[in-house]
Amino acid sequence: MIYAEVSGTISEILVTSDQIVEKETDLLIIECMKMLIPVTTKNKGKIINIYVKENDIINEGDKLIEMKYDI
Amino acid sequence: MSWEKELEEKVSREKLSENLGGKDRIKKQHDAGLYTIRERIDILTDKSSFNEVGKLAGHAIYNENNDLIDFKGSNFIFGKAKIDGRNIIVGGDDFTLRGGSADASIKEKHLKCEQMALSLQLPLIRIVEGSGGGGSVKTIETSGRANVPEVEGWNLVVESMGTIPRVALGLGSVAGLGAAHLACSHYSVMVKEKSAVFVAGPPVVEQIGQKLSKNELGGYEIQLKSGAVDDAVDTEEEAFEAAKKFLSYLPNSVYQLSDQIISKDDPKRTSEWLIEAIPKNIKAIYKIRPIIEDLVDKGSFFEIGKKYGKSIVTGFCRLNGWPIALMASDPYSYGGCWTSDTCKKVQKFVDLAETFHLPVIYLVDCPGFQVGLDAEKKGTIKEGVRAMSAIWQTTTPWMSIIMRNCFGVAGAAHKRGSSYISRFAWPSARWGSLPLEGGIEAAYRSDIENADDPKLELQKITTRLNKLRSPIRSAESFLIEEIIDPRHTRRIMCEFADLSAPLRKIGITNRTMRP
Repeated sequence: MIYAEVSGTISEILVTSDQIVEKETDLLIIECMKMLIPVTTKNKGKIINIYVKENDIINEGDKLIEMKYDI
Repeated sequence: MSWEKELEEKVSREKLSENLGGKDRIKKQHDAGLYTIRERIDILTDKSSFNEVGKLAGHAIYNENNDLIDFKGSNFIFGKAKIDGRNIIVGGDDFTLRGGSADASIKEKHLKCEQMALSLQLPLIRIVEGSGGGGSVKTIETSGRANVPEVEGWNLVVESMGTIPRVALGLGSVAGLGAAHLACSHYSVMVKEKSAVFVAGPPVVEQIGQKLSKNELGGYEIQLKSGAVDDAVDTEEEAFEAAKKFLSYLPNSVYQLSDQIISKDDPKRTSEWLIEAIPKNIKAIYKIRPIIEDLVDKGSFFEIGKKYGKSIVTGFCRLNGWPIALMASDPYSYGGCWTSDTCKKVQKFVDLAETFHLPVIYLVDCPGFQVGLDAEKKGTIKEGVRAMSAIWQTTTPWMSIIMRNCFGVAGAAHKRGSSYISRFAWPSARWGSLPLEGGIEAAYRSDIENADDPKLELQKITTRLNKLRSPIRSAESFLIEEIIDPRHTRRIMCEFADLSAPLRKIGITNRTMRP
């Protein structure tokens, strides 16, 4: 599970469900303190669930994306 | 006539002491993937360098003729040892004997360990497991009375925070006084998946309705984020290496200065890529750690507290071989804004540098304090002024390099107002009381609201002010001393380290640091 490390607004979602992504891929962008902060996956994996949509206001610790790594 | 017989008795008791809590308990410790305290000291310290103090102290059972039947050592072991050829004091809990609790402890050993490190002015490494000599409910039965709580010798712990480096390694379940010893250090480490740290463990917490595993209650992810513990590693061996590395940057005490080592990295080395390290798009962020790694002597950066107060990266490094305390903004966390936790992290780190006479370099990209309801609820401004005060109280040489944002009160904390600092800016620097974005709407509200086309008016004001905010315009008024080519930053930082070295002064600081 990938959680929000900062609070802010979901500016852009860059992936879709079932998509396979390589490690270091930006998954979505959070606008926080007027900056655009990418949320990145450390490992290669498959997107299982996306819990947010663009323009959602999120808090630190909120669920963002569920991934499966052993694919 | 000789004293061989008496000596034999001493040796045989010492051997009994090495049995710790017995074979079964040692097996249990090993089965849990943990070393015993004696194995830990053996791995941590230079071969055959450990000189134990009080190995004969323990709990003996005698028969009616006063002959010894059994002997168990105390569950706290300490002494003088060497790491990398350097003298230190090491003390640690034996979890195989009553989980390190007071029942099997001799509290004077804890006190003597603290006194010894403080008096000999040597770094202290405490290996903590269990309750660290604290009491348990069973103590009532073994002592026949309840004790009024006190932590005898805490004055020594507090005094040593301002005198000698204290490292604490939490290598299993750590609770109560053990957790206090872990938290009361300059640098603390846990082992992922093996250590858990809490005021009270799961059985106690269940009484207040929280059913949690050890890991859920006090695992490394909880304690690193809370700032109670600085670092977590995968194995005990890595914890020992981390302790050694941390100490390698520090003197034995505040009455000495850290040494320069020979650096193979050219102090005049330039880095071409730094000219484009900061994005032109002011909303875009960048990774700070590659910049740090590039600027310092190769491989010398040792980060402390990576998971806590993440808007600031803190750690030790070397520049031209000199140890330096380095802080750098990380825009990945709230754009580099100082959160409440960031402010607390800055306080501790700046105090650490001041205590042990390390010059400070701060790479600045701070848009201000975090704003919003969360920030207010966490008392950001209160912690912010404490961080600023810690900076203002420093006397150690200080250098700030403004890489990008420097706004508001938190931005102003890039320097102390009380004395000289070396200050430079990259051409990407931007500063002011408030960033223009958002600040214009507040400052020019009536102009914008009363305009025929508010959007156009906002744009016109933004363009007008953008021309004025070039760092060159500030340099005209000598508001910034120098704007430098980012590619030459390492040379300037190394020169600062060379110039600062003879300025460092030994001694205890006016206000010794708290944990």
